[in-house]
Amino acid sequence: MKILGIDIGGTFTDVYLTDDDVNEQTVHKVSTTPDDPSEGALRGVHEVCEMTDTPPGELDYVFHGTTIATNAVLKHEGVEVGMITTAGYRDIIHIGRHKRPQNYSIQQDVPWQQHPLTKRRHRMTVPERIDADGTVRTPLDEDAVAEAARALDDAGVDSIAVAFLFSYLNDEHEARAKEIIEDVSPDVYVTTSSEVYPQFREFERFTTTAMNAAIGPTVVEYIETFERELRSLGVTADLHVMQSNGGIATEEMVTERAVTLLLSGPAAGILGGKRRTDVDTPDSEATNAITLDMGGTSADIGIVADDEIVKANVRETQVGGYPVMIPMIDIETIGAGGGSIAYLDDTGAFRVGPKSAGAMPGPIAYDRGGTDPTVTDAHVALGRIRPEFFLGGEMDLLVDAPRETIRERLADPLGMDEMEAAAGVLRIVNNGMANAIRSKTVQKGRDPENFTLVAFGGAGPMHAADVARELDVSRTLIPASPGVLSAVGLSTTDLQFDQIHTTFETLSDLDRERLQSDYDALVADVEDRLHRDGVADERLDLELSADCRYEGQGYELTVPVSDGRRVRPIERIDAAFDAAHESEFGHGFDGNAVELVNERVTAYGRLPTADLVTIPEATSMVEEHVLFKDDVYFDVDGEIEAYVTPFVDRTDLRAGHSLSGPAIIAEKDSTIIVPPDFDVSVLQHGDIELTR
Amino acid sequence: MTDTADTAATVREQTAPLLDVDDPGDRIDPVTSRVVAGSLTNICDEMGHKLMRTSYSSIIRESEDFGCALLDERARQLCETDSTPLQMGPIPAYVRGVIDLFAERGQRFEPGDVVLHNDPYHGATHAPDFAVVVPVFYEDELTGFSVTTAHHLDVGADKPGTCIIETIDAYSESIRLDALKIVEGGERNKTAWQLIADNIRTPAMVMGDVEAQISAARAGAERMVDLFEEHGHETVKYAGQDAMNYSEEHLRRRIESLPDGTYSAEGYLDGFPESTDPDEKDVFLAVDLTVEGSSVDVDLSRCDDQLDNRPINMPFEGTVVPAVLLVLRSTLLDTEEHDLIPQNHGITRPVSVHAPKGSIVNPRFPAPTIARFCPGNRIADLTLKALAEVVPEQTCAGTGNLKISTFSGVTDDEYWVYMDITSGSYGGRPGKDGIDAVDTLYANTRNNPIEDIESHYPLRVSTYELREDAEGAGRNRGGAGTIREIEFTSPGRVSIEGDGNEYPPWGFAGGNEGTTGAIVRNAGDENEESLPSKLENRPMAAGQRLRLVGPGAGGWGDPTERDPEKVRADVLDDLVSRERAREIYGVILTDDGSVDEAATRERRQALDDD
Repeated sequence: MKILGIDIGGTFTDVYLTDDDVNEQTVHKVSTTPDDPSEGALRGVHEVCEMTDTPPGELDYVFHGTTIATNAVLKHEGVEVGMITTAGYRDIIHIGRHKRPQNYSIQQDVPWQQHPLTKRRHRMTVPERIDADGTVRTPLDEDAVAEAARALDDAGVDSIAVAFLFSYLNDEHEARAKEIIEDVSPDVYVTTSSEVYPQFREFERFTTTAMNAAIGPTVVEYIETFERELRSLGVTADLHVMQSNGGIATEEMVTERAVTLLLSGPAAGILGGKRRTDVDTPDSEATNAITLDMGGTSADIGIVADDEIVKANVRETQVGGYPVMIPMIDIETIGAGGGSIAYLDDTGAFRVGPKSAGAMPGPIAYDRGGTDPTVTDAHVALGRIRPEFFLGGEMDLLVDAPRETIRERLADPLGMDEMEAAAGVLRIVNNGMANAIRSKTVQKGRDPENFTLVAFGGAGPMHAADVARELDVSRTLIPASPGVLSAVGLSTTDLQFDQIHTTFETLSDLDRERLQSDYDALVADVEDRLHRDGVADERLDLELSADCRYEGQGYELTVPVSDGRRVRPIERIDAAFDAAHESEFGHGFDGNAVELVNERVTAYGRLPTADLVTIPEATSMVEEHVLFKDDVYFDVDGEIEAYVTPFVDRTDLRAGHSLSGPAIIAEKDSTIIVPPDFDVSVLQHGDIELTR
Repeated sequence: MTDTADTAATVREQTAPLLDVDDPGDRIDPVTSRVVAGSLTNICDEMGHKLMRTSYSSIIRESEDFGCALLDERARQLCETDSTPLQMGPIPAYVRGVIDLFAERGQRFEPGDVVLHNDPYHGATHAPDFAVVVPVFYEDELTGFSVTTAHHLDVGADKPGTCIIETIDAYSESIRLDALKIVEGGERNKTAWQLIADNIRTPAMVMGDVEAQISAARAGAERMVDLFEEHGHETVKYAGQDAMNYSEEHLRRRIESLPDGTYSAEGYLDGFPESTDPDEKDVFLAVDLTVEGSSVDVDLSRCDDQLDNRPINMPFEGTVVPAVLLVLRSTLLDTEEHDLIPQNHGITRPVSVHAPKGSIVNPRFPAPTIARFCPGNRIADLTLKALAEVVPEQTCAGTGNLKISTFSGVTDDEYWVYMDITSGSYGGRPGKDGIDAVDTLYANTRNNPIEDIESHYPLRVSTYELREDAEGAGRNRGGAGTIREIEFTSPGRVSIEGDGNEYPPWGFAGGNEGTTGAIVRNAGDENEESLPSKLENRPMAAGQRLRLVGPGAGGWGDPTERDPEKVRADVLDDLVSRERAREIYGVILTDDGSVDEAATRERRQALDDD
């Protein structure tokens, strides 16, 4: 089977071809073409097929991760959006939750007011109202809808969001409005709030709907173009696109819910991390992983607990300061990367990031004009990144300049030794990442000791051991090809479609059969969707769950409600919620009434996963592969000392090789730093394991 | 008590300086200092996360009217969570109040204690905001406090809810919790718990919320001990002191850059127009802010005397001081530019605030204080106005104050109480327009989703929109207020504690004043009735509506200097009418909606000549 993964990042587009018939995987990097990202991607596909003599027509699957949706939001490059909403509520998306983003600021901007997804002049109101019990209080004024659609057409909007109150209980008005709009303006892209995500909380739902309207036409055009161009290369496999929920979508799914692509890129990385941990964990044990994807400007952290990727609470998901109410993988992004700048502020306090030198001008060591010391420069100063290995020796690396700048800017003013200052830069960055990981583990009742830290991205392998030590994580993995793990993750995913129904019901008042019939309706809906995508029943899996809270609370926790399609007895759902509350918050209230807020169904269309290729067994002593030894500085228990450290090229290592720290294992797109208190073993699929 | 009691330290000894040094920054390296500061903030975030997600009433879980902070053994704040400033600012005062009461009674902190406190004459901001104080011990020694505060829905006052404007003293506005050990040495005081529950109209919600406060405060205390174990007790203490010095130094530098002198502002607060007592009709407030070197002194002596029978008196430590500090922080160290400077005790050091006893800003016990919210936010607004004289580039024109309402009723023999906070608006700013429709100054809560309110209470939110043609005009216009209308679907009552109906927000640098707000019952009907901003438990029949109109904030700079394209955009957005554009901004639009430049020039000239 031949699977192709394409991940478009800010600087590079990674293409990953895996062919388990011949036990081969090929990684290819091309420059991203920001004006039309599909151009670079196509070149990558073409080149990787040439390199491997693979006729494009023989590819079985093509999976794609893209930042096109995210960039459209962050750069405010969506299309002009009109909104048709309930009379009396024109400004829901402008007022928001009336909370300022910052507590202590007069001069701040409020993102949803500063860059409205739809301008007030394009927000039309029409008489209609559904009540809180789902009944129609005011019938839809159809003439008003037609008139609003014509006015928006005249105003030149390309996309219309229909957002009515309580449509999550009764979508008939929204659905009818959509029909009318499509009659009036057949070319306009129409999104209704009940289609995007039928869940309560109007500001968040309306905003998500407007965002879908803003980016939908752009995303759809991009996907259509890309698919057409793949066809012209001779590719016959369907294009599938990574979604924020960790599943993959067909072109048709994306067309309806473009907003599900917002975290397409980082989601793939977490999947890749999960896949590598899965294969390196005995079948009898659950996979628990912390994924750390650290690049030039930021680090993304994700959690896999008991074989499942942890999802974010929909109340907390946001992109670019706008709430986005759709299922997403819980990804914590912090401003810590190889390019993060270290500086002393005007009172002399030591700071690292979030300002970043990025790829341009980059760290001082890269000699592209960077003048501020960065995290990468600290590694260079400590002797850990060497010119011999930097990008396979293809690029020059300045060694003295970073060290001198760290001395001048940081060490001398603080009265520190320059190596202490360089190690201090790393300690601050590592602590920031450890704190972010703690907020997703310790604070949620998960002990990091039971987790594997999977570190990847260009900078992840340099920080993995130190972060692992700080968290008391017992095992750390540096996957094979750590620079392109997102592309790897793309080849391990399944089709996924979520559906939801909001209902406010006290569990104890619910009848099991009533609940079953609600879920049956949702199941019928998602099955229909996946059948249309050609998923056969034997490849279709369902997950039925419910968002519950103690009656009166405002935050829900999601608990499973079934084995297969049959919902469990109500008491078992109640007990499962008590247990989930206890585990998340440290206490449960067994006697209190539980309210069921949302019924959820996730359908998976299982896709085959290619076997990971294996690397040859070691037949040599690892010492034979030491290229040279030199002084490298390490921070052990607060003492910064030079250790004579062997340097090894990762491509020389074979399954079964092991060595003790200190060591530096270099490869083309990253460097693995092994401190003196860590041991290394090379696993059968080429992953490197660090333990203390 | 065990026989160690005789030799045990008193509360004064327990809270005496521990490991205090003049040079904390020299005793730890700058890297460790950053690392510890980051971890402290992380702990407060966890506390906030836990409290918000496990609480019951919408005022905490949706509005986020709660606070979390960690303090050192002297009740000096180390760090806080990211909720609303008015809940965090008073936390040190609460703890000082508890310490004072313990000292008076000869009590002390023991490991495992949980103290409940709400006395406005001992540091509380007002009685509905309960503090849960958990003392943090390390190696048997008191070394800090983990504290949560939250607004409770009903606190056993003589009327339902917490919006009360007719009451006579501190006993009638709340059950009094004076440094009460609700958990003593790990043992819950079930009798006290029952007593509190029995005196509250919505016991399940309120006691559930107290439970959530306790868990969050305990989690903070545990994490603080973990931090001592990880880095060493002394190191963490020095890092805390270093962070305070850091914030203090930044604020002092900014103050030092201002010219010495006294800057003043004065204004009125909506009083009780229907009252027969002339003192109650309007309330005069004045701020005299003196900059001297690196310090600021804020004198509030010119404010009116306290009102014995009206709960708009402001607790000095718990409301007035945090209001003043909030404004100094938000202007001189605006987080838009200074986001890395932590909010901690250091911010308070360069600032002194005073007011004579018996003043409305420093009342004598037992004057009632429960409705101190709007008056305190006016003190913040006037502090901003005084500062506008000396640092205009960091301020804004007058803000629109808020209205807080309590809706209540009895359905099936059970009380329901719902609290709603309307949006305010910010005045025009030196470089941009004011912010529309947000909580202002020392409040930063969140509104409740309409879909949540209507699903859980016999209420319908029938309108929620921006208010048109009411902005304070200016080169940079004031933010728009909101119109929020709520309808009763079954009979009940409403109380309102509001401001902004009598005096419009001030304009600045040639900008126009804003527009006053309003409260209207059954707007548009024959029996339409205009109501004052303070309203005590009015009965409402099913089908009756209450329209809450927020003020439009003040303008900044001459309206005729406003970019005509911005005026045009506001006209297209229906925020400003064509007539208003012409009359006030001097901008004439053509029929197709573009700016008629010649006519505009002429009109602006005419306005200038007038």
